[in-house]
Amino acid sequence: MATLVGSAREIEAAPAKATGYWTGVWRRLRRDPVAIGAAIVILLIVLMAAFAEYIAPADPYRGVSLRRLRPIGTPGYPLGSDELGRDMLSRLIYGARLSLFMGVTPVFIAFFLGSSIGIFAGYVGGRLNTVIMRTIDVFYAFPSVLLAVALSGALGAGFGNALLSLTVVFIPPIARVAEAVTTQVRSRDYVEAARASGAGALAIIRAHVLGNVLGPIFVYATSLISVSMILASGLSFLGLGTRPPEPEWGLMLNTLRTAIYVQPWVAALPGTMIFVTSISFNLLSDGLRSAMDVKQ
Amino acid sequence: MTSLGKVLCGLALTTALVTAAAAQEKTLRIGMTAADIPRTLGQPDQGFEGNRFTGIPIYDGLTQWDLSKEKEPSGVIPGAATEWKADDADKTKWVFKLRPGVKFHDGSSLNADAIVWNVQKVLDKAAPHFDPSQVGVTASRMPTLRTARKIDDMTVELTTSEPDAFLPINLTNLFIASPAHWDAKLKAVPASVTDPAERSKQAWAAFAADPSGSGPFRVTRFVPRERLELAKFPEYWDEKRRPKIDKVVLLPLPEANARTAALLSGQVDWIEAPAPDAVPQIKSRGFVLYQNAQPHVWPWQLSFAEGSPWLDKRVRHAANLCVNRAELKELLGGMMAEATGTYEPGHPWHGNPKFQIKYDPAAAKKLMQEAGHSAAKPLKVKVQTSASGSGQMQPIPMNEYMQQALKECFFDVELDVIEWNTLFTNWRHGAKDQSARGANAINVTYAAMDPFFGMVRFTSTKTFPPVSNNWGYFGNDEFDKLIADARTAFEAKARDAALAKLHARIVEEAPFVWVAHDVGPRAMSTKVKGVVQPQSWFIDLATMSME
Amino acid sequence: MLSYLARRFVYTVPILIGVSLVCFGLVHIAPGDPLVSVLPPDASADLQKVMLAIYGFDRPYAEQFAKWIWRALNGDLGSSIATGRPVTDEVIKAVGNTLRLAVVATFIGFLLGSLFGFVAGYFRDTFVDKLASALSVLGVSVPHYWLGMVLVIIFAAQLGWLPPTGAGPGGSSDWEWDWAHIRHMVLPAITMSVIPMGIVARTVRALVADILNQEFIVGLRAKGLTDVGVLLHVIKNAAPTALAVMGLQLGYLLGGSILIETVFSWPGTGNLLNAAIFQRDLPLLQGTILVLALFFVFLNLAVDVLQTALDPRIQRA
Repeated sequence: MATLVGSAREIEAAPAKATGYWTGVWRRLRRDPVAIGAAIVILLIVLMAAFAEYIAPADPYRGVSLRRLRPIGTPGYPLGSDELGRDMLSRLIYGARLSLFMGVTPVFIAFFLGSSIGIFAGYVGGRLNTVIMRTIDVFYAFPSVLLAVALSGALGAGFGNALLSLTVVFIPPIARVAEAVTTQVRSRDYVEAARASGAGALAIIRAHVLGNVLGPIFVYATSLISVSMILASGLSFLGLGTRPPEPEWGLMLNTLRTAIYVQPWVAALPGTMIFVTSISFNLLSDGLRSAMDVKQ
Repeated sequence: MTSLGKVLCGLALTTALVTAAAAQEKTLRIGMTAADIPRTLGQPDQGFEGNRFTGIPIYDGLTQWDLSKEKEPSGVIPGAATEWKADDADKTKWVFKLRPGVKFHDGSSLNADAIVWNVQKVLDKAAPHFDPSQVGVTASRMPTLRTARKIDDMTVELTTSEPDAFLPINLTNLFIASPAHWDAKLKAVPASVTDPAERSKQAWAAFAADPSGSGPFRVTRFVPRERLELAKFPEYWDEKRRPKIDKVVLLPLPEANARTAALLSGQVDWIEAPAPDAVPQIKSRGFVLYQNAQPHVWPWQLSFAEGSPWLDKRVRHAANLCVNRAELKELLGGMMAEATGTYEPGHPWHGNPKFQIKYDPAAAKKLMQEAGHSAAKPLKVKVQTSASGSGQMQPIPMNEYMQQALKECFFDVELDVIEWNTLFTNWRHGAKDQSARGANAINVTYAAMDPFFGMVRFTSTKTFPPVSNNWGYFGNDEFDKLIADARTAFEAKARDAALAKLHARIVEEAPFVWVAHDVGPRAMSTKVKGVVQPQSWFIDLATMSME
Repeated sequence: MLSYLARRFVYTVPILIGVSLVCFGLVHIAPGDPLVSVLPPDASADLQKVMLAIYGFDRPYAEQFAKWIWRALNGDLGSSIATGRPVTDEVIKAVGNTLRLAVVATFIGFLLGSLFGFVAGYFRDTFVDKLASALSVLGVSVPHYWLGMVLVIIFAAQLGWLPPTGAGPGGSSDWEWDWAHIRHMVLPAITMSVIPMGIVARTVRALVADILNQEFIVGLRAKGLTDVGVLLHVIKNAAPTALAVMGLQLGYLLGGSILIETVFSWPGTGNLLNAAIFQRDLPLLQGTILVLALFFVFLNLAVDVLQTALDPRIQRA
């Protein structure tokens, strides 16, 4: 989970796009069975989250404590029951909602805020750039886990606070990538030319910067989703994330951990879900990266 | 044999030798639930686990708890004092006679000067050895004690702010540290440190690393946050409590799974609070589980602030009748006692409440219907709790169980889980404070061995927030009168009778939903012998032995 | 080069100031009572006021911050509220313990990661590549605290081969590099090494593949350079970046060890942080965060400088 910032510095801008670039990306991606497989798994999990009401066989909040910790394959409990006798399958299905949400939202928000900050700083350059980027550097100076834990520790446990801390953690690396790429693009001849010919800042950003910059940042951001999921589950594990009785995989892992002596397989299920989702996001991100030919 | 083989063989041999030496020198290794070693300088932190492991074994109090009986509630018996009495004319003055011949681990004598010094350390801001860090845990546990005065070498007079019959019980919390040893530590502080407050602070830090009390064990090695080693003190005054174990090692292991693994792998001989779900495994591997009801309550404390749904007594009674405590007990693997009040029948303070707490869903539903609620029109309540915390047992599963159970009786329970320290702080802010975030009940567990902590602070109008923990603003003239009666009953029997009356009225008015008492479960290796688990938060290490 | 170094050092100063401000700010936005660890909830409001004054929490934030920084510059981070012990001593000891674990974990992770990455990159797009890449993705995708718990159950609780907790038979203070101590380190170090393993493997794979694709390698091969020669060339070119990644990983492990240290009760910075958060021990919390962040800043600086010195290709204006 400490991956995130390491790779930020290694990303460089892709060369200016030729026509049919996205068609090419799609063609290359289609030929990558691993990436497609990962995408299908993610799609399934998203569908599972979206239609949880229709798929889940039972109420994820309701349990019979006398029928707690049943093994996998118990009639009525296909994947066993948890420490309060709630149906594991249903909780895992509903759990996809919060877990995906906790994984994707911080990255999503950080993607918008971070790239806006970065593109702005990179575009204006000069002293303002220095001020913005040094401020970003201050947050970048904290190891990600430390910052997330310290922030949620300070703000107190809770879903919203965990989201906030994760978002704060992801903004600096994304902003740095965006700034680096924008600065690079800005100095290219055709952008200089456009400037000289009096094109407005917004028009230049839209025409030249966004097209070149968003791709690499997007690839980078997809690789952060798995980090975010693992980090979020880690916060829940420490008691700083989601609160019961919400079904969320990290929290389920936390509350089931003492059951690992009684029903090790049931207790392992939420961990497996986190693992499968996070590995799928990683593989998809890898596929995207090579399809979009973003240099690592 | 290869050189690697030789090394490995040598290591195995060393390990074997070390193990053999450990077997001869009888060592008891304990895994505590605290995240850190409780403070060793006299007044421990970490709640009563602190008193259990770094208070009682190392220090004496003027009075102490009788930990020798399993079957009856643990009572207060003489400690460093042999007898005490409140002055007949002025009930705020108490005379304590000290036990002759009690020595500190450093060899100095426990006398009247030492008692005065130890009262000053937390109550006299002008004293050179006043230590603010020890004030909090001590002053609030002896709320009325003010000063101490030496009468002669073996007699002290203690003064309280108002007549208070509970003082001898409170004094079990004042642990007597050696003034001579502290003076030596103060002298050792470098002369370059000139600020007296800073010198005192450093002396206390040094004292904590190498403390001296008069208890049955003395500290031999202290590795902060990792381990505390105690050795027996063979000159302890009470022959019955001269330790048979040579050495005790205390390890902080806050994570329940880590504790269980430490026990199962033979790293420790005893763990506090094993995870309930691991108990079958622990038992099947030949370990013994000890438990006994503790003077501890796991409740929902209800709000009587304006607009609270609990203002209706029928609702309070219904909630108390709707919880199937037997089922909850099963959920916890048997590791709780069912609560039908703060004190159970058989306890001298139980009394005869007219309202009987039990599981009676029919009666509960009827009461709720009378109060105008139904499945279609449930009563919304909100409870603030934490995910963990000292004495909270298994707060999440237990509260989720409550949520489900009360649903049957037309309650719609919302849980507000917050961080333990925040919850603890909110407890003093009260239900009307914004920190309650609209909650009308709070789930903070409490110790009840002292009548002030078990009853008075929750039912007196003088303990409304922010003064103390009457979070829900429960109280009226009747209860203030009952409390005053108990506080001024200086004869033990009369005091117990007055307290029983108070308790009966509390149960009848039900300002709590009483759910469980903790049973202080601990799992031990069969090598630990002579274990007596009293009905107390504490346990006596001194009377145990190791095979 | 020299001017780059000078600039890099100058840049560090405002970051250090910013970091200390953030540390202080983080800790003080915290809701809850700063004295909760020494003051029970039943303490009276008066007592609370007196105690706040004794500890100096009643002063304005600016004053508290200035005092803290001034003392910190002199190596004094104040005393822990809960234990009364000097924060500096506690943090230094904890950093030592975590560093010991993190260095071993990084080393294991680096060795395995380089191996997997190298094999994958060298045999790019073959079955071996897929296998090695899968292992490295596994490393960055597994919730490692969960892995730690599973290892404890198997190797400590069930098999009894290794101790589940602690940093040595007598605590961490008498650490020696003998088996009695090292066996305490095996499980946490392996669990921890999974992260750098995955990241190093991914980096090395990309580097190796990239270098092998470069035209001059193709040229060298055409000129009859042996496989060993190519290999040496690849290693020489990949090493600086791989080492830099390793250095940074060490920093992340130092700051991110909290979950693993919680699972294994390892008396390091993560454990300290956990205790500080849950006891709301402000001096300890801000001290620990500050030291870890400073460590990370300087590590970053060192890695940058070393990388610049090692790799002549990097041109930093």
